[in-house]
Amino acid sequence: MLYLLIKKLLLGDDSLMKKMILAGLTLCLISPADAAERISIVGSTTVLPVISQAAEVYHQTHPDVTITVSGGGSGVGVASVIQKTAQLGMVSRHTTVEEQAKLNGQVDDIVIATDAVAVAVSKAVYESGIHQLSLEQIADIYRGKVRNWKDLGGIDKRILVIDKEASRGTRHVFAKAVLGNTYARAEGASIISGSNNEEQMIIARNDNAIGMLSNAWLNDKVRGIDIVMHGKAIAPTIEHIRDGSYPISRGLHVLLAHAASKETKTFVQYLLSEQGQAIVRRVGYLPVR
Amino acid sequence: MKHMGNTPLVYLLIITGCVLAISCISVLLWFLGDASWQFWQAFGLSPLWADEWYPYESLYGLLPAIIGSFWVMIIAMMIAVPCGLSAAIVSSEILPLSWQSWIRMGMEILAGIPSVVYGLIGLWVLLPWLQNIFDLLTGHSLLAAGMILSLMILPTMMVMAQDALRLIPLEQRETAMSLGLNWNQRLCRILLPQAWPGIRSGILLGLGRALGETMAVMLVVGSLDRVPQPIYNILEPAQTLTSRIGREMGEAAFGSMHFSALMACGLVLAATAIFLSLLSQQHRGRLNV
Repeated sequence: MLYLLIKKLLLGDDSLMKKMILAGLTLCLISPADAAERISIVGSTTVLPVISQAAEVYHQTHPDVTITVSGGGSGVGVASVIQKTAQLGMVSRHTTVEEQAKLNGQVDDIVIATDAVAVAVSKAVYESGIHQLSLEQIADIYRGKVRNWKDLGGIDKRILVIDKEASRGTRHVFAKAVLGNTYARAEGASIISGSNNEEQMIIARNDNAIGMLSNAWLNDKVRGIDIVMHGKAIAPTIEHIRDGSYPISRGLHVLLAHAASKETKTFVQYLLSEQGQAIVRRVGYLPVR
Repeated sequence: MKHMGNTPLVYLLIITGCVLAISCISVLLWFLGDASWQFWQAFGLSPLWADEWYPYESLYGLLPAIIGSFWVMIIAMMIAVPCGLSAAIVSSEILPLSWQSWIRMGMEILAGIPSVVYGLIGLWVLLPWLQNIFDLLTGHSLLAAGMILSLMILPTMMVMAQDALRLIPLEQRETAMSLGLNWNQRLCRILLPQAWPGIRSGILLGLGRALGETMAVMLVVGSLDRVPQPIYNILEPAQTLTSRIGREMGEAAFGSMHFSALMACGLVLAATAIFLSLLSQQHRGRLNV
């Protein structure tokens, strides 16, 4: 069939067919010249709710700018900025030395909010009396030294210890604060999860789970417990992030390449503006200004 | 068809098709080999039986994921082959024609459902169920992954087997009946041996999908890099080669050792699939002689 079509086209024995095919080809070649500016934003699922809500509002006032937001984790966010597959990277930790070397000073690392990495447990665990733990107790759980909630004063149930993929920002911050090293092994881990959504779902669905989640993802079924510091229990709340007493808090960053488009830079300015920061507050994080 | 055999166009199409297929396969293998070369060069073949995977400590043991992939494949085939085959026999040999098309349509719909949907069904339905039945810490397990996979390869298995059975000429069935063979004999002596090449293709296609499926497996397998204890324990969370690639590919910087190690996982998968395919080719050769 194709052979015949090409033959017809070349011999020109059917001028109508020829015109139609040429018209078709031309149509394919025309690119939408006035297409709306597209900004693709990739990375941390902790930063994602802020950015996607901001993108929605921003699109209403700037209909010519289309913003696509997708997750994958902080490591993916940095990698896509390095490989230039995204205009903006979302990162929920500091960039590592290796990453900085690859970024080569060509990006601005901008903090748009601060959050707390909460130690989250299933509702049943919380209600059985586990309202607070010390960092050492949490470390014991993650190292596999404590395997039953009973040993911590809770129900007689094995602990479902949820660890995260090694590239995740939340994992970096949590492991540094609790286990002492960003890439520390967690021998006690029962399973590995990825995004905040995935982790939240596993904790909610079980009655024996412990995990690490940004404070904005806590709800009735996924409770954040207090961390005991110097004999005082500190809850993962905005107030404790603000006064710096909660031990596992971190800045939420976006990585903006120096060579980024004007629209991308304007969007970042919007994130830092009063409206943008109002969205940060609404999601549940601490605004930076 | 024979009268078309002489036209150059058909030859051209056949040759183009073959060349395309061969070059696709070789380009793929070359790419995998090239991208993982750095890894093999640095570690040799020892990662194949090393059991610790900590990319940030430069430990790349592939054994847990290889064992995981193996078990998941075995479980999936053990469920899907008998079920698919019996469904094919029932629908093509026993049920009236009008039912056949309905069953076939059902199978084709099953085949068209995106894998992430299967994964989510597994997450919501299968995992809690397994957890209750076996009293597990979490339902995330090799068994869950194998069961979800069996559901995914069932349509392929069944449709291929059904086609093979339907292609057996009516005369053969009539002859068998006139010889007075009973249903069992007809099935085991006439129908199944004749349909075997088609059934075998179904099994191979299913195997390929079972080995290569990522998304659904990733959601239910638990992604824990640990050799099952004991090795036949399929009720614990584990890791497969595909789920590891799926979880870590985004963060691995192009050209890094981590990236190369993930490509090595891909190469192991591809090599296994080719090996299985060759094995079955040999088997067929022996049958024909």
